[in-house]
Amino acid sequence: MRFWLMLLGIPLTICSALAQDAGATHDDWPHYGGTQFSWRYSALDQINTTNVKALTPAWLFQTGDYAENLQATPIVQNGVMYLITARAHVFALDAATGREMWNYKYPDLPRNIPGFVGNRGLALGDGRVFFGTKDNYLVALDQKTGRLAWRVNLDDARQCGCNITAAPLVVKDKVIVGGTGGDGAHRGYITALNTRSGRLAWRWYVIPGPGEKGHETWKGDSWRFGGGAPWLTGSYDPTLNLLYWGTGNAAADFYDEERVPTGADKSKDINLYTASVVALDPDTGKLRWHHQEIHDDQWDWDSAYEVLLMDREIRGRMRQVLVHLNKSGITSVLDRTTGELLGVFSVPEVQNWISGVTEDGKLVGRVEPQLGKTTTVCPTAAGAKSWNSMAYSPRTGYLYVPVNELCEDVTPNSEPAQEGQNYMNGSFPLKLAPGRTTYSHVDAWDPVTRKRAWSMPYKYVLLASMLATAGDLVFTGNPEGEFFALDAKSGNKLWSYQTGAGHRGASVSYAVNGRQYVATTTGWHVSVVGGAVQNLFPDQDWRLGSTLVVFALPESLR
Amino acid sequence: MKCSPMKFIVSMCAMALACSAQNAIQHGEQVFAKTCATGYCHGVKGQSSGAPRLAGRGFTQAFINFTVTRGVAGTGMPSFATVLSKADLAAVVAYVAALNGIANPDAGAEGAAATSSEPALSSEAVRGAQLFKEAVRGFGRCSTCHEVGGLGIPVAAPIAQVPASVAALKALTTPNVKMGTLDGESMPALVLRDGRQGTLFYDLASLPPVERNAEPGSVKFADGSAWRHSSVIGAYNDAELDAILAYLRAVTN
Repeated sequence: MRFWLMLLGIPLTICSALAQDAGATHDDWPHYGGTQFSWRYSALDQINTTNVKALTPAWLFQTGDYAENLQATPIVQNGVMYLITARAHVFALDAATGREMWNYKYPDLPRNIPGFVGNRGLALGDGRVFFGTKDNYLVALDQKTGRLAWRVNLDDARQCGCNITAAPLVVKDKVIVGGTGGDGAHRGYITALNTRSGRLAWRWYVIPGPGEKGHETWKGDSWRFGGGAPWLTGSYDPTLNLLYWGTGNAAADFYDEERVPTGADKSKDINLYTASVVALDPDTGKLRWHHQEIHDDQWDWDSAYEVLLMDREIRGRMRQVLVHLNKSGITSVLDRTTGELLGVFSVPEVQNWISGVTEDGKLVGRVEPQLGKTTTVCPTAAGAKSWNSMAYSPRTGYLYVPVNELCEDVTPNSEPAQEGQNYMNGSFPLKLAPGRTTYSHVDAWDPVTRKRAWSMPYKYVLLASMLATAGDLVFTGNPEGEFFALDAKSGNKLWSYQTGAGHRGASVSYAVNGRQYVATTTGWHVSVVGGAVQNLFPDQDWRLGSTLVVFALPESLR
Repeated sequence: MKCSPMKFIVSMCAMALACSAQNAIQHGEQVFAKTCATGYCHGVKGQSSGAPRLAGRGFTQAFINFTVTRGVAGTGMPSFATVLSKADLAAVVAYVAALNGIANPDAGAEGAAATSSEPALSSEAVRGAQLFKEAVRGFGRCSTCHEVGGLGIPVAAPIAQVPASVAALKALTTPNVKMGTLDGESMPALVLRDGRQGTLFYDLASLPPVERNAEPGSVKFADGSAWRHSSVIGAYNDAELDAILAYLRAVTN
């Protein structure tokens, strides 16, 4: 009996060993989310809980593009770092010294291009550097020289009111990118181009057109401008050959009368495939499965966020799972082969738009905004978590999530759709959640037990991505300019460094010639969420900037 | 108090001006609600929802006009010069001026005419304008390659001559499209620049066109191509093409 159990145990051990490493980065930081499993986890452990106190700046890079801030996740490959700024200035840097190898500056745009200035990252593949622009070009540069190879316009920003701010994702011979615009009268899509030629491979519209399955979940012509823009970066499982992406909320955001079919059952799918996680065939762009997280989203809960792929044992069975959090803080754990829901939990402490969520994902006691009335909603359209990513460590099994505790006064209106123009149909001034002295926290959540292991409170808000490492450290930065490391097991703060400007971007870890580095972008962002939350703390002066700060242990310590 | 006829006329004019300014401010409030108060921007009545508060800031009307027209570089504030009609622009400036305590903001002739409509196009031309850039046609719409009236991607040179009929549109020849050969692959190409810096051209093999930048001398071009304009307008039927031509005639004349 014991022998047979041992035999059974062998493949399980191998499986979990693979699962431990599948989403980890090593010397390189090759993708926006670290690997295409989007863990933002580095297997490097030279910097760890015992020596992190000695961490010190190794080099800085001033981008010179101080128009907005630095939001992009740096990419590192073979000792070269690739960095993109708000106005799409691209730099290749020696990742050990910060020496510039080449730069490419996308031309300044005329001021009539709508949208805010910002860029969240680039992608590498096929000897090219790929990025999107405010005027909706997908651009390919030669990776060695920075010379323009090709560019393709995916939409006229002046018409669609949309931009590309997200990092693209390279899957095999395709570069795949989403766009913004889902808070306007626009129909969101994901576009795949051939990496070599730039020619269109496929486009998948979030909202099905006439005759397509799911079209019946839209009222009248509302599908034409129904939003759903997938404005961040997806993930990819090469074994299953499935592409995963989160989609945005339906438009109008706060008023559903024009888009929900009369008599629709709100316990079922509405306005497909908005507010969903979708699995697509990356070769064809065909939908394989979907899971709608919020049926008839009337709160701008946007499901566009990062998708984490991991293998975990759930109820005694090893499962290939996917973890996804939307702006409400509702977090779904799905079987990523089928989309089957395996568990749900909600991360914010202050939540009044529902009374709860059942095991099978049903929202209980929905409080829907009413036309012409003002409803206080917690959390907010700024997000229980903002667009910046969480991290996952396979060593602890925890997700590391920055959570904000804010409320908003939602007053819907019924303004008609006007293509490319704002179509939120509501005002939603933010306010602090009542009765608190701290308004954010870094949490460690176990996606299997759906329990919070620890929580580290912070006075203001947290709007930078998380980084986890095998040194059992969790890094992130705050708006006051402090970049800090927490103990991944306990949440205790072990180290911090004042970088001089607020944090609204991302940090990564990599190694060159055996030396581990931790790099963070700095610079506060006053547009959109950054500006809205700063108004809540009028005595604060969160500084702009656009500097990359890179840390390492002193040579003598490693 | 004596009321001379002259004074009477002046005061009537002042009243009329005040009325038109009042209309403009009311119209400006509507434009503001739809365009400026939205999302994370300036909030209801300019009280801020993320972008700066605009009410009671002591702004002059000239400053407001400058900012709305030009935008603010490096922020989320775009230029509204081509986004809004002149009438809407003047009205919204007048409204923000009123929010800043300017008692009788000058809405100008454009503001006074705020409620009047745009220069009239025929209903067919209006339909043509919609079809020209209709999003549901994806990359099959005219605006994928043509910029008209400030919308569309200027892949092709500005339309100088509008074909007389749908038949003429379908028979359109494009001698400026060449056959380019790069790395052993041939493609129809619209050349933008071919010199010592390199070769910049649009690859028209599929839609949307790809702007490609090749090493100097690496692309070989041959005059003429099998590419036909008629092959990329298949998303439209003849009646729709007729309407588009009506639109182009109305805006190019």
